[in-house]
Amino acid sequence: MLSDEIPESSHHDVAAYALGVLDPEDIQGFELHLVSCERCRIELNEFGELPGLLNEVKSASQRVRP
Amino acid sequence: MWLVRRQLDTRFERLDPDDDPDRDDRLIRELYQEFGGPLLRQVRQSTGNDLQWAEDVVQETLLRAWRNAAKLTWERGLLWAWLLTVSRRIVIDGRRRRGVRPREVEPPEADTVAVPDATDKTLAAIVVADALRGLSPDHREVIEQTYLRDRTVSEAAEILGIPPGTVKSRLYYALRALRGVLKERGVAS
Repeated sequence: MLSDEIPESSHHDVAAYALGVLDPEDIQGFELHLVSCERCRIELNEFGELPGLLNEVKSASQRVRP
Repeated sequence: MWLVRRQLDTRFERLDPDDDPDRDDRLIRELYQEFGGPLLRQVRQSTGNDLQWAEDVVQETLLRAWRNAAKLTWERGLLWAWLLTVSRRIVIDGRRRRGVRPREVEPPEADTVAVPDATDKTLAAIVVADALRGLSPDHREVIEQTYLRDRTVSEAAEILGIPPGTVKSRLYYALRALRGVLKERGVAS
């Protein structure tokens, strides 16, 4: 498949994938896409530290939760 | 160690599956050497310091990397991002199966865990919380309803009453916006 045939929205899965919230049935498809899509590889790399940073908020909110 | 590191970089960039019968053994050993420690530290954060669980997750993650070796002909940084992603998914799946939130924190072993810097941690939490508040309500909402609540895209879509595709697209622009803000504030690189 040529990259210019891929709709813009198919690149959006990278965010859900980076956060580990992509649904299991979509994972394999996205990983296949990732192999051939340099843009998504770059963005996956760029999003890489966000889950760790979001964990700061997550654990903070879990601490105050009863 | 440095030699291993250099060899690894080359290995992950140019894997040739056919020319080396001992490749599998070596690859999984090197994956452990190179990524086992750092990955365990990351995973322990999300297993509530449950070391046994974290070790299982690391093992499963590296095993998946090994199984996908032919596909993972990426540079080191990207491979690390991939390992983090896969390990998070395994933790979330595990949490679902157990049907519980992370367990209460067990006392960590003194020699394996770095003493967390409470000041830094709090500061980062404040900056990230502030950055989230600065996002548009739509963007903040999808981050909250997915990652922060351990829900998948389709679960969040159902709760929000919008199509999964919309959740994914919003999440995409939300992460880009969040990263931009955190970069500006010197928290993200």
